Amino acid sequence: MTQTVSRDTPMLEVRNLVMNYGTKDGMVSAVEDVSFTLARGDSLGLVGESGCGKTSIALSLIRLLPDNAVVKQGEVILDGENMLELSPEEMRMRRWDDISMVFQGAMNSWNPVYRVGDQIREAIDIHWDEKPTVREANAKIAELFELVGIDPSMMERYPHEFSGGMKQRAVIAMALSCDPKIIIADEPTTALDVIVQEQVLEELRQIQHDLGMSIIYISHDIAVIAEITNHIGVMYAGKLVEYGPTVDVFARPRHPYSWLLLSSTPSVTGPRMKLAPLEGEPPNLLDPPSGCRFHPRCPFATDRCVAEEPPMEDIVEGHRLACWNHDQVPTTAKETE
Amino acid sequence: MTDVRDTDMMGAEVLDESLWKIRMRLLWRSFKRNWALFSQSKMGVVGVVIVGFFGFLAILHPILMATAWKGQEAIYDPVIGADSVIVEKTVVTEVTDPSTEMSFTEAMITGEFFPEEGMIIEVPIAPAPPNAKHLLGTDPFGRDIFSQLMFGARAAFILGVIAATSAVVLATVVGSVAAYYGGWMDTWLMRQADLILLLPLLPLLIVIGSFWEIGLWQLGILIGILSGLGATAIILKSQALSVKVKPFNDAARVAGGGNRHIIVRHIIPNVLPLSFLFMMFEVTGAIFLEATLSFFGLLSIPMSWGIMINTSHTQGYTLFGLRAWWLLFPAGLAVTLFAAGFFLIGRAMDVVVNPRLRTR
Amino acid sequence: MVRFIGKRLLQMGLLFIVFLTILFFLLNAQPGDISQQFVGNPDIPPEAKEILRARLGLDQPLFFQYLNYVKNVLTLNLGQSFDHFPRPVSEILLQALPRTLYLFLTATLLSYLVGFQTGKLVAWKRDTPIERFTMVGSIILYTVFYPWFAILMLWFFGSKLGLFPLGKFLDPEKWFDSPYTANQVFNMMLLSALVAAILVGAVYWFTHKIVEPKPRQRARRLLLALVAIGMVVFWMVSPMSQYAADIAYHTILPVTTLTLVFYAAITLLTRSSMLETLREDYIFTARAKGVPEKVIRDRHAARNALLPVTTSFVLSIAAVIGGGIVTESIFSWPGLGLTLLNAVTAEDIPVAMGALAFIGFLALVAHLIADILYAVLDPRIRVES
Ligand SMILES: Nc1ncnc2c1ncn2[C@@H]1O[C@H](COP(=O)(O)OP(=O)(O)O)[C@@H](O)[C@H]1O
Ligand code: SF4
Ligand SMILES: [Mg+2]
Repeated sequence: MTQTVSRDTPMLEVRNLVMNYGTKDGMVSAVEDVSFTLARGDSLGLVGESGCGKTSIALSLIRLLPDNAVVKQGEVILDGENMLELSPEEMRMRRWDDISMVFQGAMNSWNPVYRVGDQIREAIDIHWDEKPTVREANAKIAELFELVGIDPSMMERYPHEFSGGMKQRAVIAMALSCDPKIIIADEPTTALDVIVQEQVLEELRQIQHDLGMSIIYISHDIAVIAEITNHIGVMYAGKLVEYGPTVDVFARPRHPYSWLLLSSTPSVTGPRMKLAPLEGEPPNLLDPPSGCRFHPRCPFATDRCVAEEPPMEDIVEGHRLACWNHDQVPTTAKETE
Repeated sequence: MTDVRDTDMMGAEVLDESLWKIRMRLLWRSFKRNWALFSQSKMGVVGVVIVGFFGFLAILHPILMATAWKGQEAIYDPVIGADSVIVEKTVVTEVTDPSTEMSFTEAMITGEFFPEEGMIIEVPIAPAPPNAKHLLGTDPFGRDIFSQLMFGARAAFILGVIAATSAVVLATVVGSVAAYYGGWMDTWLMRQADLILLLPLLPLLIVIGSFWEIGLWQLGILIGILSGLGATAIILKSQALSVKVKPFNDAARVAGGGNRHIIVRHIIPNVLPLSFLFMMFEVTGAIFLEATLSFFGLLSIPMSWGIMINTSHTQGYTLFGLRAWWLLFPAGLAVTLFAAGFFLIGRAMDVVVNPRLRTR
Repeated sequence: MVRFIGKRLLQMGLLFIVFLTILFFLLNAQPGDISQQFVGNPDIPPEAKEILRARLGLDQPLFFQYLNYVKNVLTLNLGQSFDHFPRPVSEILLQALPRTLYLFLTATLLSYLVGFQTGKLVAWKRDTPIERFTMVGSIILYTVFYPWFAILMLWFFGSKLGLFPLGKFLDPEKWFDSPYTANQVFNMMLLSALVAAILVGAVYWFTHKIVEPKPRQRARRLLLALVAIGMVVFWMVSPMSQYAADIAYHTILPVTTLTLVFYAAITLLTRSSMLETLREDYIFTARAKGVPEKVIRDRHAARNALLPVTTSFVLSIAAVIGGGIVTESIFSWPGLGLTLLNAVTAEDIPVAMGALAFIGFLALVAHLIADILYAVLDPRIRVES
């Protein structure tokens, strides 16, 4: 099946992805009918409260789910090819080569007994078309270290000799080592202290800009997403509830959840008034609420929300969301200032 | 672990019921909850059954001595009793079956008269194989193996309880004190524990056993001290350390609790579940040590499973294997199963005490 | 690293002194003065008693006696045996030492090598019949009462199947016209093993500087093969080989018995250590990198699971020594443990105390080696940040 991939087919297209975890208490509906696209060289942010299924989506993309997870339905089309149909061995060769990842707990991503450089070289040895000599690989690693702002001599060092921020930068260098089509960064800065967070974010944005790669950026912190992405997907309880250009969503969040999320976080661009606090707890995904999953916490909920599930619809070109009463949502907080 | 706190908080409310009733009920509830967790492990339940079986044997012995075997101490006493089972044997020239036939020479030695071919003579044998009178046969001195086995169970329990209790009491105190006070006290106690951990225990006990008369109690306390100041102390200290940083300690201190009050009322109760777990492993270790030392004949204990093995070994029945199975197997299996029983209980309790180990 | 080893050496030295102090107090606390002990022994001349009193400084204050004792032990001046008067204690012990070392080293190395591999594979094959079978087998071996197990092994393989000799160190008939003593042959065996170990170490050390993996591997294989061939040739031409074979044959059953029990323990330990390691984030990273599963198992998980297993060795030294004594006793293996037991039965106090000091020293050396090994394996200790 040779397919001519045109310049404007998206780099990644996720269609109707459904993923559950089997537990002894029942099925956890962690990803429910999620669809989105990521254009070439574009950056997408996934945002939502902890436990809403962001990591689950990321793991579905690289197919590294825990044993109890089942992908029920959906397609993950990377550069014209459905990843979910590859054999495990084919998939293994795609990991890092096509999709690499910067992890949530990147602090512990390094094997403590091997040199950092050797661990990066391991990926290079597996994925480069022609297996390079140690010298060639080291040259590449040195180049990457320069790029992320680490002294290249550090590749001879062990992980425990790195500071937290350096470890995270080295992970980024490792993620770049095989020139992947997409990098997924799952909460890459959550474990760092604020100043280092800023630096790492800035570097990440710079690198993405320079190298022109596609990136999916996952965070529970909407402010972070705003800084470095140009598209944003807002997730709630396993569902994508709003998707659109970052500027648009920030300028005018139309889904009640996005709206509350934005208004309850300290602003990125200036002080914001607290309109309505986001109250209550995220639902238990073993038994998600009927209809719109947000209805128990939604200030605009009506009977219809309890009974029927709102579909994902284009409201404005390229700005989709799922809410029955999105016209009730006030225009942005900024305007009420 | 939280149960202790529950008790305190409930106690403060003091409803109509008296305090101890509430405590008992909470205790019962937490017992039921813990048992539910524990019994998830099949191995743990097997352990309980094994230990229960030996408990039964240990109790059975005095009962039998006072009823069925009453007045027959000379036969059934595990230490001084002796009985030779009389077997009739035919004198033949060529022995083909040693259990029913014997040679002239043998007959001459046992019978004190000149034997003739075909003569049937009665010979006492020890060790005798199992028979109606001696369910598990007799040992080389004619003593009843079943009686020894039951008596050995009692010895095993006594030793296990002494060793485990003294070790854990000591370790709980040492661990809590080291964790709570820290500083030089901690350093001293922990260095001491490291040192004890390094001691070659068995050779040391072999020499000690040859210098002094060591009985069950002395051995139990010795093991208790060595372990209570050693390995167990280290583990319980790290547990106490993790309890120490919990907020209710600060609350207690703010409320004016003294050091000793905090250790006794807050740290120790929270270390106890783990202590209890270690008592199980302690029993396993103690039984092995006792049986090994008894096997070398270095303890002054009237009878134990180790001594039973020692007797058959020194009397030359080691290589008889299955032909004299009642000499080697009941005692060897008893030590193994008894230790394994406590080991399995310990492993299953680990799941109750360490939430980390629970399955999803 | 050198500083680390130096520090450890110093610590171990101190610990040994503390151990000797404990022994001294044991000796002093025992009922009766040591010189009284052999009054009843007709083999020992009365002058010996005076010599002993002088050597131990029994007329001097306790503290000088203590210093004297420590000095005597450290200079291997352990006196004469009561039971085998007038053989010097140090001679008896030095003869037994290599035999114990051999038993201890072989059983430890074998059980760690095989047990680690088993534990690794078993953890990898979680929830399969093989795992369950291995687990049950290991738990049984781990909880079995060891002296009883050893007796059964001796009975079954030695007596019933007649595969192996019943205890003892060698077969006297074969040694009747031997030009060598058992110890000469045995020491040569140990020496050749030591030389082989050093050569293997040297091979790794010198090839470790070759950067590219392919030529490095080739060089290693070649050199290791050379070492192996060298060993085989040496023993083929050596006139000692037939005697060495006899000793080796006698060691099979005791070594296997001791090994089996530790093997079970190592398997259980490695398995749980592996299961912990497999949950670590860096295992996930390796998977995400597309590292093949076998490589993840061996290079990432097992390599880290090795660390707690190494630590556990330190804690199990006492158990290994205990197991060694029981083995020596049941298989009549004339090492330090059997010497200790015999001395205790014969009330030969100098030999008993000497053997105890030797065993304590061995335990400390084993501890030191395990510590160094751990540091070599764990860069967090080896390379200070
Ligand atoms: N292995 C698992 N088994 C069962 N449930 C899981 C598992 N991993 C995650 N979950 C559940 O799936 C949901 C989504 O988790 P996750 O994708 O980690 O969320 P996020 O990354 O947004 O915080 C959560 O409710 C979580 O409890
Ligand atoms: S559909 Fe209803 S409940 Fe859901 S977000 Fe919209 S208004 Fe709220
Ligand atoms: Mg997450």
